[in-house]
Amino acid sequence: MADQTHAPHPTPRLYVQIAILLAVLTAIEVGLFYLERNVGEVGPSLTVPALIILAIIKFVIVVGWYMHLRYEHRLLTRFFMVGMFAALALYGTVIVALLFSADIL
Amino acid sequence: MADLAQADIGHHDEHETTGIDNRKLGMWVFLSSEFLFFGALISNYLLFKGRDFGYTTIFPIELYDIPFTSISSFVLLMSSLTMVLAHDAWSTGDQNRTRTWLLATAMLGMVFIGGQVFEFTEFVLEGMTLTSNPAASGFFFLTGFHGAHVFLGIVMLLSLYGISRRSEGLTEKQGLNLELVGLYWHFVDIIWIVIFTIVYLIP
Repeated sequence: MADQTHAPHPTPRLYVQIAILLAVLTAIEVGLFYLERNVGEVGPSLTVPALIILAIIKFVIVVGWYMHLRYEHRLLTRFFMVGMFAALALYGTVIVALLFSADIL
Repeated sequence: MADLAQADIGHHDEHETTGIDNRKLGMWVFLSSEFLFFGALISNYLLFKGRDFGYTTIFPIELYDIPFTSISSFVLLMSSLTMVLAHDAWSTGDQNRTRTWLLATAMLGMVFIGGQVFEFTEFVLEGMTLTSNPAASGFFFLTGFHGAHVFLGIVMLLSLYGISRRSEGLTEKQGLNLELVGLYWHFVDIIWIVIFTIVYLIP
């Protein structure tokens, strides 16, 4: 409570609605997994991007509303994003480089 | 001059130079650095999960129990709800509800850890151990370190619960600790969101 400069946080009712949304998104993810596994013709080309998008949505909801980042000082968002994008850039590069280097793996 | 000195002392008491409490800023920087830690473990798993390297042992993907892990994921997501409700209760001065939601969060965390212990035991009984193959090692290290983070979170939650049982409850000063533990707990949750999708759901 030391930092009182940010906007008011959501109400408990909104927190519960967010939890329901997160549960529904998780159910859709699991549904997509079984759809791809059992039906097949949907194809991984559609399933994988859909699963990644759903995970990103869940990630943003938890960070924005439960961690209150959207109500906080922008400096915190920048610090958080720096670590996340540094990890994505670093490990993304490593994975791509190693996957195309048959001699290494 | 005396007023100036008093203002200066007050400034130091707030633990801030950026308009944000330094401890809170420190927690966000720490969580940011954790992306690099878990990024390494996730990358390691991704590099090895589709390659057998001549090993004929059981691979993680052959043993995943998606319904069971989905329930574990649901439990961890709901623990984020109870955590945020604990913080909300504290901000309204309701110490009883704060205690209840803190305990509920810790219990849900324990259920998640229990599920992970059960999953690991099943995998070992099926013949997949830490040294079975590179994919198995990657799986155990990634999910094991995540579980260790959850365990640490439970210890912090129970510590806060213990402090909140004192007669004065969680004071204004300790409220920041509640917020920091909450941030850590939600971060553990978002890492699991990524792990659940990348490790378990994506073929």
